[in-house]
Amino acid sequence: MSGKGVVRSIKNYAKGFSDVQIKVREATSNDAWGPSGTLMNEIAQATYNQQDFVEVMDMVDRRLNDKGKNWRHVFKALLLLDYCIHVGSENVVLYAKENLYVVKTLKEFQHIDDSGKDVGSNGKICALFGSTLMKKATCIIVTQLSSLIHTVRQKAKDITSLLMDDARLKEERHKRTQMRDRMSAVGDY
Amino acid sequence: MSYLSAEKAESELAQSIKKATSIEETAPKQKHVRKCIVYTWDHRTSAIIWNILKVQPVLSDEVQTFKSLITVHKIIKDGHPNVIKDALRETGWLETCARSVSGEGVRGYGTLIRQYVDLLLHKLQYHRGHPEFNGTFDYEEYISLKNIDDPNEGFETINDLMVLQDRIDRFQKVVFASFRMHSNNECRIASLVPLVEESYGIYKFITSMLRAMHKRTDAADALQPLRQKFNTQHYNLLKFYYECSNLRYLTSLIKVPNLSPDPPSLIDAATPTLP
Repeated sequence: MSGKGVVRSIKNYAKGFSDVQIKVREATSNDAWGPSGTLMNEIAQATYNQQDFVEVMDMVDRRLNDKGKNWRHVFKALLLLDYCIHVGSENVVLYAKENLYVVKTLKEFQHIDDSGKDVGSNGKICALFGSTLMKKATCIIVTQLSSLIHTVRQKAKDITSLLMDDARLKEERHKRTQMRDRMSAVGDY
Repeated sequence: MSYLSAEKAESELAQSIKKATSIEETAPKQKHVRKCIVYTWDHRTSAIIWNILKVQPVLSDEVQTFKSLITVHKIIKDGHPNVIKDALRETGWLETCARSVSGEGVRGYGTLIRQYVDLLLHKLQYHRGHPEFNGTFDYEEYISLKNIDDPNEGFETINDLMVLQDRIDRFQKVVFASFRMHSNNECRIASLVPLVEESYGIYKFITSMLRAMHKRTDAADALQPLRQKFNTQHYNLLKFYYECSNLRYLTSLIKVPNLSPDPPSLIDAATPTLP
C-alpha cells in the first residue's frame, strides 16, 4: 500500500463509506494503473442489489464530476461505468440513460497536465498508466485493452453512442452474458 | 442526480458562471460551462442562470459580455430542453447585450457581440417555430417521419434550417475577420467551437431528412432547389471546417468534422452513412 493508499483508507474510515463504495473508490482512484477486472466485476455484480446499486452510482457520479486535476478519477469512472453497462444490472443502463448528460458533457473534457499535455484528448494509454502498465498487465481486463487506447473525451463519446443505440446495447449485453456462461462452463463435463 | 443541497448547488453555480465569464481575454473554461449545463439537467431549469447573469457586472466589459454569449450559447445547445423555453423569455437580456457596446468598442468586440446576439436570437426564433428540435439538432427518426407525411412541412422545415445554417456561416466569417495580429485570439476562437458543432448537427440533420424525403416522394423535381442549396452549403461548410482545422487552439479543443470533398448523394439508395 502506497502513501496515497493509506490516505484513501483513512478517508474511507473517516467518512464511513460502505464496502461497495470503498470498492468504487479503489477502482477509480488516482493510481496510475487501470482498475482490475476482478474489482470491476465485483462492483458490477453489486449493482444487482438495490441498496448497493444506489451507492455505486452515487460514487461513480461524484467521480465523473471531479475536477481536471483528478482526471484519472473521471477516466476510470467512465471505464467502470462502461463495464457496469455491459455486465451490471439493467438498472445501470436505465440510470445511465437517464443521466446521459453527465457523460455527454465530458466530450469536451480538458485538462492540461504539468508537462503541458492535454490529457483530455491525446496521448496513449501507456502514457496514462505509465510503465506500470507492463507490471500490472494482469490488472487490466484484456477484453477492454483495445478500448483503453482512449482518453476521457473518446470514452465519453463511446459510452454516449452506445447508450443511444438500443439494439447494439442489447446485443453487447447479451454477448457478455454468453461469454460468462461459456467461461463458467469450462471444466463442467 | 445531484447530492448537493439547493443552496450549495446554487452558490456553486454562481461561482461557475462568474469564472466562465471572467474579465480575462481567454476562452470560457469548459469545466465551468459544463457545471452550468449539468445544473440545467439536474434541476430542469435555467431560470437561476439568467438571474445570476443579470446581477453580475458582465455588461460593463466587452470581453465579459462576449464570454457570456459563448456560455449562454453552449448552455442553450447542450442543456436541458427547458433551457430553450427559458431563453425565449430572456431575449430582452440578449438585446441589452447588443446595446451594451457602442461602435467597435474599446477592445474590438463590438461587431462580434452584435452579430452573435443576432445569431442567437435567430436560433431561438427557429426553436420557437420548431419546438420538436432539441438544441443540438439531433436527427431523430420521428421528426423526419412526421414531416415526410406532409412534404410541405418538411420542405418548410429544411428551408428554415438552411436559413439558420447560412446565418451561422455568416457569423463565422465575422469571427475570422475579427482576428488580430499579435494575439492568440483565443477568446474569439472559443466562439467557433459551438458554431462548428451546431453547423455539423444541422448538416447531418438536413442530409438525413433530404434523403428520407427523396425516398418517400417521387417529386425529385420539386426538391431540386433544396438539392442545389444543399450543395452550396456543403462547400461553404467544407471551407469553414478547413479554416478551423488550421487553428491549432481549436483543434486541441474539438475534433473538426471531416466532410467529403463533394456533397454526398441524396438519391442513391446505397448512400454512405454519415460519420
